[in-house]
Amino acid sequence: MNIWAYIIRRLLLLIPTLLGLTLLVFILSHFSGNNILLATYLNPRLTGTARQLLVQKLTAEFHLNQPIYVQYFYWLLQVLEGNWGFTNTPVFSGQVTAAIELFLPNTVVLTVAAAILIWIIGVPLGIYSAVSRDSAADHILRVGSFTLYAMPIYLIGIALIIVLGVYFKVLPFSGVVSPTLVSSFSWYINGISYPTHVILIDALIHGAWGVAFDAFLHFILPALTLALAIVASIIRILRSSMLEVLDQDYIRLARSKGLPERTVNNIHAQKNALLPMITLFGLTVAGLLGGAVVVETIFSYPGIGYWTTQAFLNSDVGGIMASTLLFGLILVAANLVVDVIYAFIDPRIRY
Amino acid sequence: MSKKTSGGTVNTRRWDNIKLSFSVFFANTAAVVGLIIVLVYLADAFIMQIDPGLLGITYANTLVPNFLNPVPTAPSWQHPFGTTYPGVDLYTSTLKAIRIDLFYSFLVVGVGAVVGSVIGVISAAIGGMMDEIVMRITDIFFSIPYLILALAIGFILGRTLMNMSLTLALVWWPIYARYTRSTTLSTKEFTFVEAARASGVSRIKIIFRHILPNSLPPVFIQISLDLGAIMVIFSTLAFIGFITNASVPELGYLTSLGLNYVQIAPWAVIFPGVVITIFALAVNLLGDGLRDVIDPRRRS
Repeated sequence: MNIWAYIIRRLLLLIPTLLGLTLLVFILSHFSGNNILLATYLNPRLTGTARQLLVQKLTAEFHLNQPIYVQYFYWLLQVLEGNWGFTNTPVFSGQVTAAIELFLPNTVVLTVAAAILIWIIGVPLGIYSAVSRDSAADHILRVGSFTLYAMPIYLIGIALIIVLGVYFKVLPFSGVVSPTLVSSFSWYINGISYPTHVILIDALIHGAWGVAFDAFLHFILPALTLALAIVASIIRILRSSMLEVLDQDYIRLARSKGLPERTVNNIHAQKNALLPMITLFGLTVAGLLGGAVVVETIFSYPGIGYWTTQAFLNSDVGGIMASTLLFGLILVAANLVVDVIYAFIDPRIRY
Repeated sequence: MSKKTSGGTVNTRRWDNIKLSFSVFFANTAAVVGLIIVLVYLADAFIMQIDPGLLGITYANTLVPNFLNPVPTAPSWQHPFGTTYPGVDLYTSTLKAIRIDLFYSFLVVGVGAVVGSVIGVISAAIGGMMDEIVMRITDIFFSIPYLILALAIGFILGRTLMNMSLTLALVWWPIYARYTRSTTLSTKEFTFVEAARASGVSRIKIIFRHILPNSLPPVFIQISLDLGAIMVIFSTLAFIGFITNASVPELGYLTSLGLNYVQIAPWAVIFPGVVITIFALAVNLLGDGLRDVIDPRRRS
């Protein structure tokens, strides 16, 4: 099969998944009757006659007096047009799309940073653990990753807070910036920075180096917690995949040719051991997004996960449904990218 | 081959097999340690269920707050783990919480495994359109992080402990469905299934008498490995705020009680968290040991 044919087939397979995903969200939002859909799209600040008029308008727009499968398609049309309804939480009140615009960049920066950290920490440790098999370092690494793997993510966060934040007092552990630092800037209004809403990047854009450094310090603990929560499984899987590769005939051949051990490990073995890591990366994205919910809540980091828990705790339908849909879409896209990259790298997949 | 030998030989062979399994399991020190820890947790749960007075506890189902002295105090002889907000003794609360967490974790894994395995086996055994539909459904469940999905479903069902475990079971069954489906697909190809089909055994009987029992052992290992993960996720949901009842002894909820005092009372968050971690570790070690017993490649 041609690679483009594979990609097209993979894209076509997306359609049922996306339909199912939206259907699931739609069914969830309908579980206790039609009014929950209305609640999603009604601006909670609206009262009196204006509210009545809007209810009538929405009933007509979403065809709420028609069978449920008809409603689904009208709802889907609205979602495709970018009308995701309203959210009302202490951290944000207004259009869901505006909330996503505000919170998503922060989550993206956090997860990307955590992914890079995972790569930096996990790959060398996993490979080192396999290469120096059964040494003291290997045993320590295995016990460490095993323990880390069993820890709830919030415990990792709290442990880091206690050690680095409370005991050594080197890192701040709440919010994204020290409030007093930013009060005088014109690009920082009511706790929101412009234009990207990620204060670390905004400060760099505006050349406020002191603020950028402070934001960076605030950023370390959330990113490190998220990375540590996932790095344990990466180390374990990479170790076993590297051990498997090291047992292959071509590695024995390379060794018997008299190649130095370092060349064999770095050039011959490492490349092939890293191959399963690409599929693993799709899973990592899921772990990162799920973990972000907890991490952002602990550190009051203004991302999608923080907004989701706030929506959950404040019974906000719009926020919950929108974030379920959003997380689903991101994960579906990530899996697609992983599959396509994998097809490019490993030709066996395409057939 | 064993069919041809006399009954006595089959029995000795079976006995030898069991003896070998035990010796493989007990040769693995880590697995034995895991087993002992799990047994200690289970014993605690049983004592709490039958007679909490044995450990000096009067109310096994609720936390006992002390509003006269609500601020966390450090560990002492009177309070071995210290106290957390509002004046709750952590040692006894943890003992109570283990029972609740274990009960709901077993419930989640049990419901998830039974529902998922049955669906997975049937889907693989029937194949065709049915299989395709089931797999697409599991795909959809996999396309949302389970924490988010659990929050969304829990939001609809309401925030109680029972709903929380139902929610997790709803999120967890697809994993088992996928797992048993793949083992069933390989079991299906074995000659004994073909022999059963050739001798005219009905389809349902083949599924439940021949395919299911042979696909189950790997599922049991998965259950023991999942038990720790479920307890961790269960406590995470409680930590985020799934529990509205303020007097439930639950490990994640206990941790969240002490969160505001993390700067002055680190023990209030560390002890409940460590209790979960130890259980998750022990269950994982136990699962690894069991896998060694069942996997023939590791038995030699």
